[in-house]
Amino acid sequence: MNFLFMTTLVLYICAAVLPLILLKQQRVHNLCSNILQAAASCSAALLAFSRLNNAGAAVELMNIASPIPYLTLTLKLDKLSAFFLFCLGLLSLAVSIYSIGYMKHYFGRLNTGLFSCFVNVFILSMFFVLTAADLVTFLIAWELMSLVSYALVVFETNEPENSKAGLLYIIMTHLGTALLIIAFMLIYVNTGSLEIANASELSAGIKNILFVLFLLGFGVKAGIIPLHVWLPYAHPVAPSNISALMSGIMIKTAVYGLLRFLLVVLDASASWWGLVILVLGAVAAVLGIAFALIENNYKRLLAYSSIENIGIILLGLGVALYAQAGGHQETAALALIASLFHVFNHTLFKGALFLGAGSLHQALHTKDIEKLGGLMKKMPVTGTFMLLAALSISALPPFNGFVSEWLTIQSLFQFLNVSSTGAKLLGMLAAAALALAGGLAAACFVKFIGISFLGLPRSEEARIAREAPVTMLAGMGMLVLPCLFLGIFPRHIAGLLDGINQELLQVSVFPLIKGSVIFLYYPVQISGTALAPVFALMGGLILYLIIFTVIHLLYPHPADRIYKTWDCGFGGLNSRMQYTATGFSKPLRIVFRGLYRPKRELQYTEGPSPYYPGDPRYIVSTEPVFEKYIYQPLAGLVTRWARRSRLWIQTGSVHIYLIYIFAVLIILLVYNWVLGLH
Amino acid sequence: MNTPLYILIQLAAALLLAPLVNGVIKKVKAFSQKRQGPPLQQMYLDLYKLLQKDTVVSETASWVYHFAPYLNFVTALLAFLFFPVTFFQQTISFGGDIILAVYLLGLGRFFMALGGLDTGSTFGGMGASREMMISALIEPALLVSLLTLGLMSGSTSVESIMSVNLQGSPLSTNPFALLILIALFIILLAETARIPVDDPSTHLELTMVHEAMLLEYSGRHLALMEYAAVIKQLLFITILANFFFPLEPALASPLPALLLGLIVYVLKVLIIAVLVAVTEISTVKLRFFSIPNLAAISFVLSFLGFMQFFIIGR
Amino acid sequence: MESFLELLSISLLIAAFGLTATKRIRSYISVFQLQSLLLAAATMAIGIYNLQAEGVMDILFLAVVIFILKGLVIPRLLRNTYTKVEYTVEKDFFINIPSAIMISAALVILTYFTIHSLNGSLSAQTKFYLVNALSVVLIGLFFMISRKKAIGQIVGFLVLENGLFATALFSANGMPVIVDLGILVDLLTAVMIMGMLVFRINETFDSINVDRLKNLRG
Repeated sequence: MNFLFMTTLVLYICAAVLPLILLKQQRVHNLCSNILQAAASCSAALLAFSRLNNAGAAVELMNIASPIPYLTLTLKLDKLSAFFLFCLGLLSLAVSIYSIGYMKHYFGRLNTGLFSCFVNVFILSMFFVLTAADLVTFLIAWELMSLVSYALVVFETNEPENSKAGLLYIIMTHLGTALLIIAFMLIYVNTGSLEIANASELSAGIKNILFVLFLLGFGVKAGIIPLHVWLPYAHPVAPSNISALMSGIMIKTAVYGLLRFLLVVLDASASWWGLVILVLGAVAAVLGIAFALIENNYKRLLAYSSIENIGIILLGLGVALYAQAGGHQETAALALIASLFHVFNHTLFKGALFLGAGSLHQALHTKDIEKLGGLMKKMPVTGTFMLLAALSISALPPFNGFVSEWLTIQSLFQFLNVSSTGAKLLGMLAAAALALAGGLAAACFVKFIGISFLGLPRSEEARIAREAPVTMLAGMGMLVLPCLFLGIFPRHIAGLLDGINQELLQVSVFPLIKGSVIFLYYPVQISGTALAPVFALMGGLILYLIIFTVIHLLYPHPADRIYKTWDCGFGGLNSRMQYTATGFSKPLRIVFRGLYRPKRELQYTEGPSPYYPGDPRYIVSTEPVFEKYIYQPLAGLVTRWARRSRLWIQTGSVHIYLIYIFAVLIILLVYNWVLGLH
Repeated sequence: MNTPLYILIQLAAALLLAPLVNGVIKKVKAFSQKRQGPPLQQMYLDLYKLLQKDTVVSETASWVYHFAPYLNFVTALLAFLFFPVTFFQQTISFGGDIILAVYLLGLGRFFMALGGLDTGSTFGGMGASREMMISALIEPALLVSLLTLGLMSGSTSVESIMSVNLQGSPLSTNPFALLILIALFIILLAETARIPVDDPSTHLELTMVHEAMLLEYSGRHLALMEYAAVIKQLLFITILANFFFPLEPALASPLPALLLGLIVYVLKVLIIAVLVAVTEISTVKLRFFSIPNLAAISFVLSFLGFMQFFIIGR
Repeated sequence: MESFLELLSISLLIAAFGLTATKRIRSYISVFQLQSLLLAAATMAIGIYNLQAEGVMDILFLAVVIFILKGLVIPRLLRNTYTKVEYTVEKDFFINIPSAIMISAALVILTYFTIHSLNGSLSAQTKFYLVNALSVVLIGLFFMISRKKAIGQIVGFLVLENGLFATALFSANGMPVIVDLGILVDLLTAVMIMGMLVFRINETFDSINVDRLKNLRG
């Protein structure tokens, strides 16, 4: 086991260092580095998988004690870590293969060697975050992850949009880190240990404070609303392989953190925590997808949809915390399975979608949906993969998104049976929010797929687009095909997740998840209801075959006549007459106008006379509600306060500054003296 | 032994009864307008004729367009298999529960909307956009209603809901089921493109929703789409008929009981079909942006139904 | 019997929701009429039950009065007022309908929690009735707030009264007949007077928008 760990570590480090050595040979170092990264990822995934499959206590991977006090580097791998590590390994494997083709269009433009180095450091830092066994290691890895991802976001420095997004990202993420540091210090002061271990002996008050700190601290990274503002800016401007990593796994490290600290360290001791997370999850699910729906930049659309999926994950997490606090361990275990399953699924399909978005961007050099169209014929494989990924993210059977959504609904259903009255109402509202989010997600991805891949090409670039290279397709395929597989055979992964339950909650719901052992029939069964996607799929296939043959027997030579789309008799249907993405989302934009606050404007250019105006120009814009009503006033407040306060804090006189230092010293001395008195 | 029989009966009911229901609705509407109306078997004839005809396919269309009608039809049929037409039969779970059935319909709808967009026609996009909005808004009400029905029986599987209902109609044991019944009725109208939401007989571009998506389809593709729509309609009618008005024929011998059960089922379905028709006659098509009102009413009714379930808590 | 009453009490609530959902004056008069008829039916049911159990006729008598007054006379009066007033279709509500429905639902939830926090010897059954009936009262009041037209206020007031009556009826088999009769007669007079007022408002302002009354401020 340790062998695998050492292999992983060495390979990642090699993959990071090699491109720096071969900095000039971009083609060579790109290939080598990505192959090494792929090997390292395989090894990481294997390490995680073998840990998940075996019983037993956590395995210590590394323990470096340094002479500096408090600074030790310990890594441990228990099942929870192993699960997230598995996601990381799988995703980075696909991304590395994809990058072989994808990075080509940066050759000569960017320093790809440094970029590859950063990518590997980024993955390695996430590895450390997921396996850190003490608070200091966790913090160092967390900070490293944030900094490197910042560097990757702003890597294309020639665009001003990037540095702006990067700035927002780094401010927000450090806000989160600051809260985490406070929380860690509180833990250390009250327990005297830096180990990440059960600290249930803390008093209830401190636990509640810790909960709030963790929720906000990790919430920033996860992008829960209203702390999400950085996410829709940072994800779209990063190169697509980085977006895939950030959206696929980096924001999940926050989910990991919440699980680790709320469930393991704090032992889920108050039931209101679960309810808070449940409500936040419901809000994030609905608002995230609602914002995604009106977005016409497809990478930003995907970023908003990540917020929605984090919301769904949090729904499961909230139920798990609530049920665990109330002693309903089986419900907690079920909800945890649902939540973790969705983590895994989201890693797969969101990774695939971002990779696909990268292929689109590479082929068309635009991020605007309105300029795509008709790509299903030009890029058939990419299009089909994207369609499949869109089906799974819209939670439609027989894909994996449906299974985790089903499990989430079932855990909410169990929640309705065990919770108190007020919580029941919240639970049902959360279920309704989940349903609304599902419906909106379907609408959103019909828009994305329908407008960008179907119909007529809407721009010259779309007309001449070419299919992406094989490596990129392979990278996407590696993520999309498991979506279908897991959707049909969900039991394997449910079994693995149950191992985590046994370790965390000391309960197993696998006996509840029954099933016969016939090879094809793998139902997931919970309290009298069951889901066997295989069976439904077989039924569907058989029906399809029957219908197909019957129809073709009834009328043996069905000649499809290829003809123009009906153009109302005017002739010359062109792509500008098609429905646009803006038009597609218009009904919902009007229904939720309270949320989006759309502005419509009709401008005319000067014409020959007032009665014959020139070209009309129609502008629709929506307001970023959270930025406008929360962040901008807040930022304004801080700036104003800073402007005013500098007159009496930052006077420019050296003596005043010396007085500050002096005063702090005195206060510390007095504090020490007072402590000594006791 | 029972399973093939079950599947046969379900398929037969779906394929034979669904067009008839449409015929009945049309007939009742015609009657109210003092017209003779199309004969009851009209839809069968239409379908037969459409299957015989050539299909015209837009040159813009990709494989999605060809695949959508089949998928739409198969998902509708598959979803229908989840809801047994009579109680006599042993229900088979068919690898899922109500939620799977609902999401199967969602899969069909997803592809139908994509099919609408695939030809590059403006109408298709318009229909797809509207359809997705209506379905998204109606979804919460649907899930809350179904979960509440599930809560009454302790599980979301069709079988357990049915077996609880056999002990007595939810309307008599749990009067608040009335709220859910009304909510589901509104959902029925919205999901099957009936009048307050969509007018199935119009082809006016400003108002059509479902028809707009099908505008480019012809021949067997159109037949499959139309067929799927009526099967979906029958599915929602079956939910209403069998979840809220269970009538079990008490006969000892299996075959007459089965036959009687089927007859009772057909009668129930026809009564609900007449009700749908009466609603169509007595209301007007809502302005498109009034549909959220309808969705809100349906959601609130189902949510109150859920709340009342706690207050009495049976 | 009990489930029949439960059904009726739910129907009263549904009618109240129907009221918030309707847009046009004519249709909310009809909804009010429907609710009154339902109330009459509930009264009738309890009346028959009382007749069998205790041999008292008065609730039955009340049912007939309600049927005639609220089910027939008052709606007719309202319709007359409405037809006499020159009325142009304009936006009649402050809050859009989906929000109004959601707020009404929130009112029901609030009532539910309030009633359930009562420490009394109320049975679950009674609490159930109380929640429905009190919700009707609150929704009626909310309806009065949310509509601009004077007729809306009258209908809201009447629905509120329906709710009050239902509360008394379901929780304590009704108030003494004399009291109820008095209230009903008051109601009739009130509707007539308000009808006249609507007239006057219309004459003065050319509209029955209550908003316009703001103009009377000095």
